[in-house]
Amino acid sequence: MRVTEQMRYDSVANNLSQLSARQAKAAQQAQTGIRVSLPSDDPIAAAQLARLSASQSQITARRSTITSVRGDAELAESSLQQASDLMASAKELAMQGGNGSLGANERAMLAQQVKDIKDQLIGIANTRGTTGYLFAGSATETKPFSTAGAFNGNDDVHVVDIGNSTPTAVNASGAKAFTAAGGRDVFADLDALYTALNTNDVAAIGNSLDGIDQSRSQITTSQAAIGITINKLDASDSVQSALDLQNSKSQSDIGAADPAKAYSTLVQLNNALQQSVSVGKSILDLAAFKQF
Amino acid sequence: MAGLTQLLNVARDALTAQSYGLNVTGQNISNASTPGYVRRVAQLETQNLGSQSGGGVRAVGLERVTNDFIERRESQATGTSSAATTRDQTLASIEALFNDGGGTGLGSALNDVFASFSALAANPNDTTTRANVLAAAGAFADRANATGNTLAQTSIDLKQQAQDGVDQINQRAQEIAKLNMEIAQATMQGDDASDLKDQRTEKILNMSGLINTHTFTDGSGNTVVQVAGTTIVDGQHARSLSLDLDSNGALQLFANQSGGGRSEITQFLTGGKLGGIKEARDKDLFDVSQKLNALVFDVATAVNTQHAAGVGADGGTGRNLFDIGSSSTNAARDLRVSVDVFDHPDRIAAASNVFSTPGGSDNALALSKLFDTQIAVGNSKTAAQAYGDLIGSIGSTRANSQRDVETQGAILTQVQSMHQSQSGVSLDEEMVNLTKYQNAYQAASKMIGVADQLMQTLLNTVGR
Repeated sequence: MRVTEQMRYDSVANNLSQLSARQAKAAQQAQTGIRVSLPSDDPIAAAQLARLSASQSQITARRSTITSVRGDAELAESSLQQASDLMASAKELAMQGGNGSLGANERAMLAQQVKDIKDQLIGIANTRGTTGYLFAGSATETKPFSTAGAFNGNDDVHVVDIGNSTPTAVNASGAKAFTAAGGRDVFADLDALYTALNTNDVAAIGNSLDGIDQSRSQITTSQAAIGITINKLDASDSVQSALDLQNSKSQSDIGAADPAKAYSTLVQLNNALQQSVSVGKSILDLAAFKQF
Repeated sequence: MAGLTQLLNVARDALTAQSYGLNVTGQNISNASTPGYVRRVAQLETQNLGSQSGGGVRAVGLERVTNDFIERRESQATGTSSAATTRDQTLASIEALFNDGGGTGLGSALNDVFASFSALAANPNDTTTRANVLAAAGAFADRANATGNTLAQTSIDLKQQAQDGVDQINQRAQEIAKLNMEIAQATMQGDDASDLKDQRTEKILNMSGLINTHTFTDGSGNTVVQVAGTTIVDGQHARSLSLDLDSNGALQLFANQSGGGRSEITQFLTGGKLGGIKEARDKDLFDVSQKLNALVFDVATAVNTQHAAGVGADGGTGRNLFDIGSSSTNAARDLRVSVDVFDHPDRIAAASNVFSTPGGSDNALALSKLFDTQIAVGNSKTAAQAYGDLIGSIGSTRANSQRDVETQGAILTQVQSMHQSQSGVSLDEEMVNLTKYQNAYQAASKMIGVADQLMQTLLNTVGR
């Protein structure tokens, strides 16, 4: 074959430019640690990465939802604990009031204490969290209980996405904890006790005991329910956190460059490039006319 | 006596012929790196040695060392390679638009929209959370607009490039026709037309880079040039092409007829820059635009339907989150946050009915659940799946095109190398030729010296 100068130039230039392109790619991978930086680097991997990053975004959103609602759920639980304690105190007052040795004045004093308990309980039932009134259902901007104990809220649930297949309700129901919707109207029971004590009606005091007990257990049931919700949130969080880890690992498995391999490829190509340059130089030096 | 004079004449002819050879060698060396230059070989011819003629040497002209077959192969390979390269350039710019790894993709903006719904469900009564929904929707619309607009602008740019290509083709056709004429004239006058032929070959090669080109030589030595199956240079006459858009906005190529009409030849356009533009613009880019618009339309429509079903904190219902047309045409470019909710975070419909405001989260949850709902591609894929598919198809189209560029480039290099091997100048060879002609020239000078000496000897002898 007849070899001309142009062929030599072309072949040296072609080989160098091809090697340079591969070397640049390898250098980019080694430097960034990213194997799939453009969809065409690996189309299937790029499509998977797009879906994984969508999943990751959903997981992140769920975890931040869990963090965000968990605070209110905990606040609701501790509020209900306090409410339950208050009801226990009310029961003690009722027991004291039932003691036959007490006089009307002493019972009136006990009645005053029951009234204080009711006020405190209304305060607790009107607790505000980050999302508004905790026990108001969806009417989070309306004070759920009046000073008399009338309910202005509703029994709507606050549903959020924490990764469960069914929507998870994360609020404690004020209606079920404090009003007749749960079986007993807690404030009416306290009112009954107050009236019985105030009117020095020993029989009525005895009768109110049962209602106070039922009210307390109603509050305790609600407390347990929100406790279960908190457990669910925690369980979901650990599931989402595991998914998060798995997702990150998949993304890195699919999209990241193996550092050892990337580096050795780069070194290999660097050497090849250097060699190619010196070979190219000697090829271009070869021209016979220089010898004439 | 006649013999010695004859010898002088022979030596004179030899000097002329060898210096012609030196000139040809010089031209070859000078043009060693001129594009399109075909090496020349001086053609020397012996004159008969008869009783009357001297038996010297005569330069009869040049030979251009060419091979029609290789030239046609090179023209073909140039066209295919140029089409692949042009297409790949467009695909590279499309790919860059969907580079989620580099943070310029639509995917993360889309994910943020769903994440904002999820956050809204967690805290439906918070103004910041509501404002974030609007911000995420706005960012998604902006990203969709930017992507859609860039694709549309690319399409316009490609049309302009195609127009430039057609103008160049028409220009080349004129030039080739003119060269055909000049070559015919030069040949008729007995002049050497090698330079003109070099130019013509170079123009044809240039034409091949613009459009699929086929050439042959007609009976009178003219090169006939056909592009996209239609004759554009017929002997010394050039025709022209023109460009238009069809009702779908796709490129149409026409061959203008001398009578004034024009016939469409789009379907025969397969190679060259123009072929690459056609494929990149009307197939690849069109396909990506369509899928993008469909995805944006599906997402916006599904979100709108769910959002309109819900109730804002102000009690209002039936409002869309996005403004989008009734069809997916231009959906990506036209997407906006609806004026119904723009700048009104309270109007974001988190609740499912008016009685559950402001704390109800049912509708926000339903909106966030759209992430897992098959709302795209005829309700057969989730938005994230559809976007992943789009990325995958863009990536594999580009990867194929890159392979194409490499393959066609390798073929072209191979053919160019064959062409060079045949027609290129080898300086080594020319150095040898230079020495060869130099030596022959010196020897011819010596012949003159010898003839002169003999003449002197004879004159001295006779004159004594």
